[in-house]
Amino acid sequence: MSGILIIADHFDGLLRDTTRELLSAAVSLRDGVHGPITMAVLTDSSTSLVDQADLQGVDQLHHCNVNTQHFDPASYEEVICRLGTALRPRIIMLAHSANGMACAPAVAARLGSGFASDVFGIRFDGNELVVTRGAYANKLNMELGFPNKGIVVVTIRGATFKPVTESATAVRSTECFDLSALTGRARHIEYVQPQSTGLDVSTADFILSVGRGIQDEKNIPRFQALADRLGATFACSRPIVDAGWLPKPHQIGQSGKVASNCKLYLALGISGAVQHLYGMKHVETIVAVTTDTNAPIYGVATYGAALDVFELADALEKHFS
Amino acid sequence: LGQAREIFWSIGSHGIAIFYIFGYSAMLIGAWGVVRHIRKYIRGRKLATPVDILTGLKRMFLEISSHRMLRRRDRWAGIAHQLVLVGFLIAFAGTTIIFIDYDIARPLFGRGYWSGWYYLGTSLLLDIGHLGLVVGLIYLIVRRGAFRLPKLRYVRAYRRETALRPAARGWRLEDWAFILSLLAIEVTGFLEEGVRLLMDHPYLDDLSPVGAVVAKLLAGAGMSAKTARIIRHDDWWFHGLLALAFTAAIPWYKAKHIISVVASLALRDDKPLSRLPMERPPSAPEALEPVGIAKVSDLSWKQMLHLDACTKCGRCHEVCPARASDRPLSPRDLILDLRTLNDEVQGRDLGRISLVSNSIEPETLWACMSCGACQEICPVGIEHPPLIVQMRRSLVDQDKMEPQLRSVFGAVAQTGNSFAEPSRKRPTWTQELDFKVKDIRQEEAEFLWFVGDYASFDPRNQKVSRTFAKLLQQAGVDFALLHESEWTAGNDIRRAGEEGLFETLAHHNIAAMNSAKPFRRIITTDPHSYNTLRNEYPEFADIAPIDHYSTVLLELLESGRLAVTEPIGKRVTFHDPCHLGRLNKGYDPPRQVLAAIGCNLVEMPRNRDNSFCCGAGGGRIWIPDTPGTPKPSISRMHEAAALGGIDIFVTCCPKDLTMYEDARKTSGHEQSFVVSDLAELVAQAVALRHDLAPHLAKLMEQIVDAVADRIGDAITTRLSDFVATLPRTPTPEPLMTTDANSPPSDRPTAPAIPLPSRPRESASAEQAAPGVDISERPIRSLAPMGWDDLKPLQAANFPAYRAPNRSGLRILVPVKHVGILGDERRLGADERDVADGILDYAMNEWDESALEEALLTIERLGGGEVVAVTVGDEGAEASLRKALAKGAARAVRVWSPELRVADPLTIARILAGIVLAEAPDLIICGVQSSDQANGATGVALARVLGMPHAAVVVEVQWDGKGDIAATRELEGGVREKIELPSPAVIAVQSGIHTPRYATMRMIKEAKKRPIEVVDAAGVFDGSGGYIVRRLFVPEVRKSEMLSGDPAQVAAFVAKLIREKIGAKA
Repeated sequence: MSGILIIADHFDGLLRDTTRELLSAAVSLRDGVHGPITMAVLTDSSTSLVDQADLQGVDQLHHCNVNTQHFDPASYEEVICRLGTALRPRIIMLAHSANGMACAPAVAARLGSGFASDVFGIRFDGNELVVTRGAYANKLNMELGFPNKGIVVVTIRGATFKPVTESATAVRSTECFDLSALTGRARHIEYVQPQSTGLDVSTADFILSVGRGIQDEKNIPRFQALADRLGATFACSRPIVDAGWLPKPHQIGQSGKVASNCKLYLALGISGAVQHLYGMKHVETIVAVTTDTNAPIYGVATYGAALDVFELADALEKHFS
Repeated sequence: LGQAREIFWSIGSHGIAIFYIFGYSAMLIGAWGVVRHIRKYIRGRKLATPVDILTGLKRMFLEISSHRMLRRRDRWAGIAHQLVLVGFLIAFAGTTIIFIDYDIARPLFGRGYWSGWYYLGTSLLLDIGHLGLVVGLIYLIVRRGAFRLPKLRYVRAYRRETALRPAARGWRLEDWAFILSLLAIEVTGFLEEGVRLLMDHPYLDDLSPVGAVVAKLLAGAGMSAKTARIIRHDDWWFHGLLALAFTAAIPWYKAKHIISVVASLALRDDKPLSRLPMERPPSAPEALEPVGIAKVSDLSWKQMLHLDACTKCGRCHEVCPARASDRPLSPRDLILDLRTLNDEVQGRDLGRISLVSNSIEPETLWACMSCGACQEICPVGIEHPPLIVQMRRSLVDQDKMEPQLRSVFGAVAQTGNSFAEPSRKRPTWTQELDFKVKDIRQEEAEFLWFVGDYASFDPRNQKVSRTFAKLLQQAGVDFALLHESEWTAGNDIRRAGEEGLFETLAHHNIAAMNSAKPFRRIITTDPHSYNTLRNEYPEFADIAPIDHYSTVLLELLESGRLAVTEPIGKRVTFHDPCHLGRLNKGYDPPRQVLAAIGCNLVEMPRNRDNSFCCGAGGGRIWIPDTPGTPKPSISRMHEAAALGGIDIFVTCCPKDLTMYEDARKTSGHEQSFVVSDLAELVAQAVALRHDLAPHLAKLMEQIVDAVADRIGDAITTRLSDFVATLPRTPTPEPLMTTDANSPPSDRPTAPAIPLPSRPRESASAEQAAPGVDISERPIRSLAPMGWDDLKPLQAANFPAYRAPNRSGLRILVPVKHVGILGDERRLGADERDVADGILDYAMNEWDESALEEALLTIERLGGGEVVAVTVGDEGAEASLRKALAKGAARAVRVWSPELRVADPLTIARILAGIVLAEAPDLIICGVQSSDQANGATGVALARVLGMPHAAVVVEVQWDGKGDIAATRELEGGVREKIELPSPAVIAVQSGIHTPRYATMRMIKEAKKRPIEVVDAAGVFDGSGGYIVRRLFVPEVRKSEMLSGDPAQVAAFVAKLIREKIGAKA
């Protein structure tokens, strides 16, 4: 039992950044695993995704032809278990993404292996694998161990490890999987893209983002107007979209957009759930204003102010008239 | 002297007959109208508590005779109405005298008695009475027609309407019809009298001065005898028939208030708002009937009668702070709308007629601030606020409420306070005091101080609480607090319509006070707590007398226990808190305190019973106002500023302080005056001893800490030495700190496996002392496995558990009772979980979404059951009860103490055991829990069961038989539509539905239903996914906190924007 098996996370013909981050996490463990880092890409016969996954640090690259690029938990579970039996890795790594969450626990349950999800720290303590993850809304961290477990399945939190971007030429192998006999498979029907409003928060360099703290749908126009006046792109956190106050394209976060070109992020009334931080914590200057002095967003913000967002909005407006 | 009046002058026998036919018809029509009303009232609900009719009658006579209510704040209208009423009564008496004389005495005894001096005397009285009536009427007509009083206009300007509603046109019509027809009767009466005097020249002009003047005028105008004769005849008929028509119409329009007001005033409750009506008990023990008022037939007969008493005088409309702030509520219009609807159905339950969709909009009901200004000024005894609260109860019951209110109810149910703070933090405001505040649970005291939410948690009010505490201390008052045993009193929870939650709060606080050490008297700085403890708690149990701190301060000042050494000498104005003033008549003590400390009190125009609400009451403090709507508190600031030269705006209510501190800044009067609490001024005046140099206190604290540390170290070392001498029991987690709250356990330590040592710990600390709570969270050995030895997870086996037979679709929903961590980050002794007692618990948000989806599915498919399952200790039953309250059919709880820190795979195995017994058609769970957020249990459960599954689902469509169509949420806003066969496990995102609200009453009802408890002892077989090595507090990169007010922070941010973004901004 040695080495690490990484299951590539991809969507719409593109390798997701999370895959590159998984690799980075795996590379950091290289000294402890005593074995190769294997990247498995479950896709159709096209090699495009496999080429993208050919990154520095990958020792073996497995092209697993499952006849489709679409994710299906049952197929993934089956292929991972078959690959595992052949490769006998110590660690199986998946992204803590919608798809990773949908199959990693099943793989662990099927193998009876060790399992931890949403991991943001992983290391060897001697021969023992130790991972760190959050607890109680990330107010605490928990350190987990897997004594006696020869195999550990982990899902890794996104935007935590620095993605590996350098491509390489790893040893490749291709295998076709016939999964027609597999029961309980889901049928992919279609993808639904978020309604396009022409808005792309991921390209904005200055974002004004609002969260639950603005209290009421009726306050949306007021902050929208403030954003316009400041020349900022108007964005929000998930609860605002869930409540139907703003359309999906405004959402920053894991299930929304990542503010990847943002230089200045003004977060008003956002306490900072992990899933929101995912989309903005990398921004070089973050100003967070929310009344809750213990809000997690102050953990990533450059500047914080525990003020009433409405009063701040009024005061700020005066500077841009 | 046999002087008398001829009743039927020149009217022939036919005419008389016709007149009598009209007369009796009028009486019949009038009587029919009265009977119709009575039948309507009979259809109304019975009263829960009997009415004290004697007191009511006394008060009614007093109020009508004095006209106190009508004269108040509208003196001339009151006097005019009094003239009208007295004149009307005299006229009525006159008519009665004539009726008895002419229709009873004369036919019976052949002679009447209305003659001679007796006749002349009554004639004079009648003339004067009628004159008063006419004068009053004319004033009222001019007032209505020419004064353009806003309170008499029915255009709903507060709803930005510019035209009259059709119903309001009717109201205007009846107003004029009533007042003008009465005037017409009077004028024609005097004319008749004048003509009669002109023609008959009776002795002394019948002692009818007005008639004589009219006669003179007519004569002066040169009226001929012939004209007089014609007028006398025609006018007689006109006057007579008009009077009969007026009589007939009385119960059918506005004139009915002549009767209904008498009843309404007699039936008036003496504490309609300060002591709200309890909800009627369910008719059967198991019945869950709709609560509150949802339809007309839910009104009590008394409430219907009150509706009929309204004269649209507009006094309530004028004073209502909601109406004055352009909120969609006018108490007058609400009452009139209710009356219109009730008149349509006549109190019948026509089923489909729901008040809230047909007549009253929910935002109207939510606009009320429960200040009581409307009922205070209502001259006819209408009790608007209880009606509004009872309709709110129905809204809450149907979950038709603002989301913020829903979350406040949730927080209060959860934590006992509206700030959603852990109850442990309730007494933290006392920590900055340089003396220890007694805990009534431990030691007796003279006073129990019931602090209330705002005074406990709001920083500005905490200062006031500390000031008052210091004043008590200085005065040598022996007082104590309930500390964390105090929950919010529930005054505003009740007024917002969550009656069940209020009952829970009341029961809790009463129990806390009953189990406390003895105390003599309750005091509070919070008028809201004061009101409910004083007026409402006694309906649940006897409690000690309660006083507002204004009374206490007055006593201390008067008795000299607090001596004024530095009189304030400032111009101040005082705001009467609604709950202290209007609701409990505590107008004087605060004013006396202000006088005693040398304040020069200047009253605002709206003071005492006319005080203008700050806008916080009735739960409004929790519901955000629509941006742009005027705030009552700002209007109040303008009112105070208009007095000119005011130094201090004084309040004695925590909510007032909060509202007015805000309003002072936003109203532009920040420089004009300060807002201060009564206690703060008293502190200034009595030169409250300053805190014993605060740095000294801090130093003491440091010394105590240092000593404690040293003792702790010594104990740890000795303990370690002692442990080292013991036979080595391999226990992985060292004893780092001792959690004082964890009781030692005598349970045997579970077989444990060694863990690699943590680098930062010394070897000597590697073992746990025996008897520490580590057995509470045993580290179970994980079974060895590897690629040669795979150990697929097996469902747990619960042979003793049997699910009942199915009677339709069955959806199973696993729910987790999650721990919520506040600001405190203490860990338990073994550092593998947080310290006992610092978590608050609630049903996992994601599972609430799952439950909602399951309930909606069952409802849509028209039958079946939802079964809620949890793995948790007894505390987790709270979440199961919530699930039952929302509509789950059954609830199952699986537990064994060894599951205390179980991993998701273990939980999945246990759930799988229950699923095998239940054999559901579908399992819907939350995709993750808010505490550990593993996001794994559902998918692992599906794997153990061999079921298809879908995770991160935001939409489910299922016909109950075939494949399930699910929409998954992927990253970047993309959604994936898939189909999968059933049965399956669907793990849903939170927020896909707004979970329905389970009122406390529903939850209480659910308590009566059984929860199946399954013992999972021995189920753990080492197949879990991980063991928790330790928890620790992460080091957080703290952002640089900007201090300063909003303007300063805004300036900084603006500069930052210009620097970073440049010209664009």
